[in-house]
Amino acid sequence: MKKTIILSSIIALLCSCNPDTWNLDVTGMFSGSSAGIDERIEDSFDYNNQHGMPHLYATAESYKVYVATDTHVDRSRENWEKFIQAYRADMSCPLALHLGDLVNAQNHWDYMRRPVDSIPANPLKKDTLLAVAGNHDLYFNQWKEYVRLWKTSTYYAIVETPTGKQDLYIFLDTGEGILGKKQTEWLKTTLNWADTQAFRHIVVCTHTHLFKLDSSQGHTSNMPLEETYALLHLLKQHKVELFLCGHDHSREVTNLGTMTSIIVDALFDREPQPAYLIATMDENPIAYRFVKP
Amino acid sequence: MLPMMAQVQYGTEQYAVRAYAGYAHNTTYGSYGVFDAGGFMPINQHFEMQADLRLSTAGNHALGVQLRPKFAVPVGEMFIDVRLLSNLYKRDGYNDLTQFIGVGYRMDHVTAILGMSTRLIMETPYDWHGTQSMIVEPYNICYKIEVFIREHTSPWNISLCATNMTDYQIERVWQPVFSVGGWYDIDSHWRVNLAALCKPTGMFHLNAKYYGAELRAGFNYNF
Repeated sequence: MKKTIILSSIIALLCSCNPDTWNLDVTGMFSGSSAGIDERIEDSFDYNNQHGMPHLYATAESYKVYVATDTHVDRSRENWEKFIQAYRADMSCPLALHLGDLVNAQNHWDYMRRPVDSIPANPLKKDTLLAVAGNHDLYFNQWKEYVRLWKTSTYYAIVETPTGKQDLYIFLDTGEGILGKKQTEWLKTTLNWADTQAFRHIVVCTHTHLFKLDSSQGHTSNMPLEETYALLHLLKQHKVELFLCGHDHSREVTNLGTMTSIIVDALFDREPQPAYLIATMDENPIAYRFVKP
Repeated sequence: MLPMMAQVQYGTEQYAVRAYAGYAHNTTYGSYGVFDAGGFMPINQHFEMQADLRLSTAGNHALGVQLRPKFAVPVGEMFIDVRLLSNLYKRDGYNDLTQFIGVGYRMDHVTAILGMSTRLIMETPYDWHGTQSMIVEPYNICYKIEVFIREHTSPWNISLCATNMTDYQIERVWQPVFSVGGWYDIDSHWRVNLAALCKPTGMFHLNAKYYGAELRAGFNYNF
């Protein structure tokens, strides 16, 4: 028994060094290899300060937002390509989102990004794809790769309609399950500012889910409880309407009174029931539906 | 939050009370103080109870009751661990009520517990006329393994512990808490306790980083 445990431990450690054998950075259980959240925030803020926050324009008062998560791209990317084709073909979609875990592990970043650049843009409209980092995007010190291709993970974007109505999308980096001190302060400042701007809808997008509501979450970890309640309080205090996240791989909709929390299904090719979400943004409460790729 | 402080009093049959104070820090609250009080009641040879109260300057308070039917085995003792824990996150306007049931085993050098918990989460004050449902986290695996370097009857001891449940909080399965603790018996009535706790985040995101820590000291009085 003792020999078996020792042998298993050695194999696990060896596998953790070889992502092609096992795409889990097991050493990250003890010390994450990417920069911590407060350092990553600085990278995101550097980019934000240089380039500003995205300000997008919808062509009608009602528009659609396409939301994907957990594509875990490694050796295939079929669902990811279908998602990109779908939102680009939709004339009413100015914004598409990815909620993290873009890749499964290292060495797949360019392969993951390629369809974004190679699938032809729709010449009749403008659209933008925005992302946040998930935990799989940080393994094996991958934050550098994320920043190289996706630039920032803590920011906000505004979508403006023809009559000047604006919707706010806030993106939070929860790749290690916490917001961290700096990001929390930024979130408070951003939400306080949002209170003065009369946004039509406020949507918060991140990777880690808030609750552990069913056995589908057996394999995914949450934020610490203190952080969960602190974040919930902030979101509800500032009347955030929709909280979008992934990480769990299984769909879940939780009614939190004035706010709805949605875990979007994974779009991973090996997922038995992959799906993405389409949200309709207009004068009414946000409507949404799930679509198979 | 310190598992060491559970003080199951294995090897004794005395009523006891305790009071501790500590310094804590996490990235959500920053620095804050904790004040704990509790009582241990060995009802009879096969049944013991424990009550715990925590007040914190961060506005996160806890009240818990533990019931332990127990029975001796050839080496050590088996017990059923039943806990009811209410946490008031006053700072953030949330209250949760956690129920736990598990099976435990303790002997001189090891205490191990494995069980399940259910958590009810509600806003406080709860809006009975609102549309929000009470949030239920129905299944959560809980565990505790604590190793002591000396026997429980020793006048001093040091332990290492890994768990996701403390006397004051039951975390989700993938959010472990690690602690090192120790005690020293001044005399037959007074015991000094010291403990340090570390709560990392993201261990099972495979991106482990520091989240929180706690340092606590206090006294037990055995009647």
